[in-house]
Amino acid sequence: MTQDGKTLGRRQFFRALGGSTVAVAAAVASPMGATEAQAYDPGNDETKSRYRESDHVKAFYRTNGYETLKKNMDPASTGTK
Amino acid sequence: MLIKRKSGQKNGELSRSKHQAVAAGLAAGVLDRRAFLRRSGLTAGALAAAGTIQLGAVRKAQAAGSSAVGPDTIVKKNICTHCSVGCTVTAEVVNGVWVGQEPSYASPINRGTHCAKGAAIRELVSSDRRLKYPMKLEGGQWKRISWDQAYEEIGDKLLAIREKNGADSVYWLGSAKFTNEASYLMRKFAALWGTNSIDHQARICHSTTVAGVANTWGYGAQTNSYNDIRNAKTMIVLGGNPAEAHPVSLQHVLSGKEINRANMIVIDPRFTRTAAHATEYVRIRSGTDIPVVWGILWHIFQNGWEDKDFIAKRVYAMDDVRKEVAKWTPDEVERVSGVPGEQLKRVAEKFAKEKPATLIWCMGATQHTVGTANVRALCILCLATGNVGKPGTGANIFRGHTNVQGATDLGLDVTTLPLYYGLVEGGWRHWARVWDVPYEWLQSRFDEVPAQAGRKARSRKENMESPGITSTRWFDAVNLPAEQIDQRSPIKAFMVFGHGGNTVTRMPEAIEGMNKLELLVVADPHPTTFAALDARQDNTYLLPICTSLEMDGSRTASNRSIQWGEQIVQPAFESKNDYEVLYKLAVKLGFADKLCKTIKVENGVPVAEDILREINRGGWSTGYCGQSPERLKAHMRNQHKFDLITLRAPKDDPEVGGDYYGLPWPCWGKPELKHPGSAILYNTEMHVKDGGGTFRARFGTERNGQTLLAEDSFSKGSDLTDGYPEFTFGVFKKLGWDKDLTEEERATILKIGGEKPDTVSWATDLSGGIQRVCLEHGVTPFGNGKARANAWNLPDPVPVHREPIYSPRPDLVAKYPTRPDERQLRVPNIGLTVQKAVVDKGIAKDFPIILTSGRLVEYEGGGEETRSNPWLAELQQDMFVEINTGDATERGIKDGQFVWVYGPENKSKAKVKALVTDRVGKGVAFMPFHFSGWYQGKDMRDYYPKGTDPVVLGESVNTVTTYGFDPVTGMQETKCTLCQIAAA
Amino acid sequence: MARMKFLCDADRCIECNACVTACKNEHEVPWGINRRRVVTLNDGKPGERSVSMACMHCTDAPCAAVCPVNCFYTTADAVVLHSKDICIGCGYCFYACPFGAPQYPRVGNFGSRGKMDKCTYCSGGPEPDFSTAEYEKYGSNRLAEGKLPLCAEMCSTKALLAGDGEMIAEIYKQRVIKRGYGSGAWGWKTAYRETVAI
Repeated sequence: MTQDGKTLGRRQFFRALGGSTVAVAAAVASPMGATEAQAYDPGNDETKSRYRESDHVKAFYRTNGYETLKKNMDPASTGTK
Repeated sequence: MLIKRKSGQKNGELSRSKHQAVAAGLAAGVLDRRAFLRRSGLTAGALAAAGTIQLGAVRKAQAAGSSAVGPDTIVKKNICTHCSVGCTVTAEVVNGVWVGQEPSYASPINRGTHCAKGAAIRELVSSDRRLKYPMKLEGGQWKRISWDQAYEEIGDKLLAIREKNGADSVYWLGSAKFTNEASYLMRKFAALWGTNSIDHQARICHSTTVAGVANTWGYGAQTNSYNDIRNAKTMIVLGGNPAEAHPVSLQHVLSGKEINRANMIVIDPRFTRTAAHATEYVRIRSGTDIPVVWGILWHIFQNGWEDKDFIAKRVYAMDDVRKEVAKWTPDEVERVSGVPGEQLKRVAEKFAKEKPATLIWCMGATQHTVGTANVRALCILCLATGNVGKPGTGANIFRGHTNVQGATDLGLDVTTLPLYYGLVEGGWRHWARVWDVPYEWLQSRFDEVPAQAGRKARSRKENMESPGITSTRWFDAVNLPAEQIDQRSPIKAFMVFGHGGNTVTRMPEAIEGMNKLELLVVADPHPTTFAALDARQDNTYLLPICTSLEMDGSRTASNRSIQWGEQIVQPAFESKNDYEVLYKLAVKLGFADKLCKTIKVENGVPVAEDILREINRGGWSTGYCGQSPERLKAHMRNQHKFDLITLRAPKDDPEVGGDYYGLPWPCWGKPELKHPGSAILYNTEMHVKDGGGTFRARFGTERNGQTLLAEDSFSKGSDLTDGYPEFTFGVFKKLGWDKDLTEEERATILKIGGEKPDTVSWATDLSGGIQRVCLEHGVTPFGNGKARANAWNLPDPVPVHREPIYSPRPDLVAKYPTRPDERQLRVPNIGLTVQKAVVDKGIAKDFPIILTSGRLVEYEGGGEETRSNPWLAELQQDMFVEINTGDATERGIKDGQFVWVYGPENKSKAKVKALVTDRVGKGVAFMPFHFSGWYQGKDMRDYYPKGTDPVVLGESVNTVTTYGFDPVTGMQETKCTLCQIAAA
Repeated sequence: MARMKFLCDADRCIECNACVTACKNEHEVPWGINRRRVVTLNDGKPGERSVSMACMHCTDAPCAAVCPVNCFYTTADAVVLHSKDICIGCGYCFYACPFGAPQYPRVGNFGSRGKMDKCTYCSGGPEPDFSTAEYEKYGSNRLAEGKLPLCAEMCSTKALLAGDGEMIAEIYKQRVIKRGYGSGAWGWKTAYRETVAI
C-alpha cells in the first residue's frame, strides 16, 4: 500500500537476499548490543485492559449513531469534560 | 496514483531531519514547544531544519494520571479557520504550550469531528515556517526589522503617498480569516483613512451570492444551516464539492441522505468526491448553469409542478421568468449544456415534488462572468418550488473561510459600510453616530476626483459614496492608463492583510502591477505568494500576524451562527494580532483616537469584547445587535445543550434558554431582549420572537402597478396579517405603536431624526426601541415583502444565459454574447471586446480544453498556511492538472509526468504534473488553486525569506487564468477558461 | 470483555484524511510514516469508494506469527502491540500484514530500515502508561485515558468507527438498515474472521 516504487524496491531487496536477511538486519539494526533476539514476554500490567466506557467514549458512540432516532443510545452523555 | 500520497519519497532537508530524529531514538533530549518556539524565533535559520523533532513528547508524561486532563492542562475552545462550517477546536494547553487537540463532541456543528485541516490545525500555531518578525526588502534581500521601525517606515510612506496621490491611491485588503472584530475594525480604519477601496476574499468567492441573494429576498447569506440539511428529502449540490471544501458538512448531508433516504443530486462539470456519494450525477459544460436551471424550471412549469400558492403570496414577477424559461426547451438545453432533457426532467420532478428540497451551491456557481445571474436563477428555482423559508429547504450556500460571512457582514467590501448600510449619506451618518466621529470630518478624509476622459468630477461627498476598486482588479488600477481609472490617482500602495497573492486571476499582470507599486505591505502569518515573486527589490514589508487561534474574537459561520473563539496560546514568535497592528498603524497615521473612541484599549491592544459591543450598538440592519460577548461566551460554555437539528436550546435553560446556537443573525434588539437568533431565514411558520420572519421589504412597496408586499402571508403571531413595509418612526405613528416606545427610546429617536424623526427606522434607531416594539407585535422589523423573480436594478433583471468570455463554443457566442463593455467599480470591463477577439482569432482551436479550478481537501485558499503544515503537505506534494484519459492519449501524456498547461493570455504557461482521469470529461481539465512558489516553470523557493518557504510549492493555476468579470461585483472568472496541454 | 475493533463505513468515507492528520497530530508521527491512510477505489469513476486503513488489530495477528523475535503481544482489549526494544526491523510483518500496516522510518537497504512502527490503537506500548518513554516510542495512550483512537473520534463524516466491537457493529447495522445499503464492514473477514450480520 505504500508507494509503488518503495514497495518494489523492498521486494527486490528481499528476493536478492533470501533467507539471510534476518541475520543481516539484526546485526545492523539493533542499537543495543545486549539485546538478544528474545521473545517479548509482556507482564500483566502491559496486557491489562485499558478500555472503559467513559462519558467521553459514550459521546463517541452517541454521535456516531443516528442521534435523531434516539434508539439504543444513551442520550445523557454529552461528551463534555 | 503517483502524484498523490507519496508515503515514502521526500525531497529536501525536511524529511531527512525527520528521519534522523527518529533514527536517533529521540535521544537529543526533550524540548518543549515553548522553548522551541522561543529559540527558533531567535535563530530561525539554524533551527528550521530541526523543526520536526518530536515536540509533543512531554505532553502525556506531564499529564500523567488516570484523568483525561491533568492538573496543569487548560482546555481552550476556538474555531477552525479553514472553512465556514465553524468546527469547534478544543485545545489542551500546558504551560502556555498547545500540546494536544481533543474532539469537541459538545459542538452541535462538528460533534467531535474535523477534516484533514482541522485535525492538523495545532501545527499552524507553532509552525517553524511562520513569519517570525517584521522584515523588509532591501535591494532584493530580506532584512529583519523591529515592529517600531516597521510602523514608522510604513506610516511615513503611506502619509507621503497620500499627500501626493490621495487616499484612494492606497489599496486595503482585509481577510476572511479575520475575526468579526478585526473585520469591523479594518473597515472602520479604511473609512477613517478616507477610501472605499477595502475588500477581502468574499470578492472572489461569494460576492455574487451576496449580491444575487440579497437582491432576491433581502439578505445575502445562507438561509438555513448545515444541520438543517438533515431535514431535506431532496438536495441539489450545484457547483460545489463540499466533500473536499467542507468535509464536516458532509456529516449532516450524508446523515440526512440516509435518514430520509433523500435524493442527493450533484450538478458539476467534474465528477467530484461529492458526486461519488450522490444518487444522481449531472455532468454539465462549465458556464452553462443558467441553461441547466432554466431547463429544470422548463419541466416544472410545463408540468405544473410549481408551488402556485407560495408564488402568489410571496413572489414578485414570476411570470417574467416563465417567458425566459420557455426558450429553454430540452433540445436547446442539451445543445448548450450537454445535459439530456430526460435527466433534467427527473431532477426537476424530485426537486419540485419530493420536498422539502434544498439547493446547495459554492464557487462553481459564483465564480463566473454571470455569477450574480447564476445565483439569481438558483434562488428563483427555490422560489418557484416553494423551497425556501422552511426546515429542510433553502439556499444552503456554503461559504469558504472561517469568517467570510462575518467579514462580508462587517463591511470588508468596496460597496458598503459595516452591516450593509451601503455608502449613502444615511449610512455614513449612522456609523458616524455610532463611532462618535463627526460626519464632516469623515467626509474631509476623502479625495476630490477631477474630471477625466469625459467623466464628471466628483466632490468629496460623491467620492465617499462611490464604491471602491475590487480586489480582482487592483493591478488593473495600477497598470491601466490613469485616465481610465475613475479616481484621483492610480493605486500606488497595497496593504494586504491575510490574503494570498495567487488567488486572483491573470497573475502575469498582477506581477506587472506589483512591480509598479511604490509600497507593498503583507501582514500575514506567512510571507504568502507576494514574497515569492520576482517583482520587487525595495519598499516591501512583511508583518507577522498571528492566526486567529492566537486571539480572542467572534466568527460567523456560514449558517450565520456567531461563535466566540478564545485565545489558545500567546501569538507565536514576534507576531501580533490584527487589532494591535491596525491600532498601532492608526496611531502613526494620526486617527487612533477616532478608531477607538468608544473601544477600550489595553496595553496598546483594542479589546475584542469591546469592539463587539460597538458592533452591537450599530448592527441593527442585520440583527448583529443582540449577540453580546457575554451571550456568545455562554453559548460556548453550553454547546452541548443545543439540539442537533433545530440548533435550539431547551427553553428552561438558565443561561441559553430558547436560544439558537450562536445566535444566528438576525438576532433582534438589544442583548437584554434575549432574542434567540434566526436559524432559518424568512420562516413564516414561527413567531419573530422564536426566530421566524418574512421576506424583506427592501425594494419599495409597489412596481408597475403590482404590489411588492406579501399577500395573505405573514409570520406566526403577527399583529399585521398581510404584507407591510419596513418600520420607521413614521409608520409607527400611523399604527399608533409609537406609544409603546419608552421615553428614553423616543428621545433617542427624536435626537437621531432631528428635523425628520419620521425617517428614523428599525436600522438607524440606536435605542433599539423600534425593533423591541416590532417583536411585541409579532412583526419583522424589515417589513414583509415579496421575493423578487425580477430584480430590475440588476444588469439582467431576469437571468439570461451568456457564454463565457473564453467560450469553447464560438458557434453559440453570437446568440448568447456576454454583456456589452461597460465601466464598473472605477475600471473598465471590456468583456465583450475580449470575447469577440477570442472568436475572431479562433482561440478555441488553439486552446481546445476547458480549464476549471477548485479546491482540495488538504489545502485551503492560496495555500501558504496549509502547504507549510507538514502533516498536510505530506498528503499532497505536487501541483497537478486533471486531464481526461482521451485527451491525454491524444497528446501522448502519461499519468504522473510533467506537462505544460498553456493559457490564452499573456503567453502564460504552467508546469505541473498530469493526473490522467475520467473525473473530468473529454475536453475538460481541472487544476487546484492552492499552489504557488513556482512561476512558469521556475522554482521560486529562494525568494522566500529564509526558513519561511512552505513545504510544498507548485504552479498557481492563476498564472494561466484569463479575463472575465461579473458586471455587478467584479467577480473573476475562474471556473471556465481555455487552455492547451502538452507533455513537458 | 470488550474487544476493540475498527470499522470503516465506506459509504460515509469521503477521503478527507482527517484520520491521517489526527494520527500525526496525536502522536507526532514523523514525515514518511503513515500509521493510517485512506485508499480510494475507482478513483474518479462512478462507484468511487474510499476506505481508511490502519492496523486492524487482528485476531491471531499474522504479523505476530511471522515475527522472528516475537516482539508482538495482544492486550486484554485485543489490541495488537509490539515492543520496539525487541523489534529488529526485519520487515517480515510488513509482508504478512494483509493491511499494509507496518511502517519503517527508513527505506534503505541492508536492514537499516529501523524499528517497525504501526497503529497502536492509541494505547501506547509496553512502557508504563503515560510515561515519556511510552510517548516517545509509541505515542499517546488514549485508551488508558478513557478515550478512543483519535482518528475515529475526529472522522469528519463519522465513517471510521472504533471501540467495543459489538457496539460499533450495532451502530453500523443500524445505518445499513436505516439507509438500505452498505458495502460491508470492510476488512472484518480478514481481521476478525467474522462480519457484521444485517
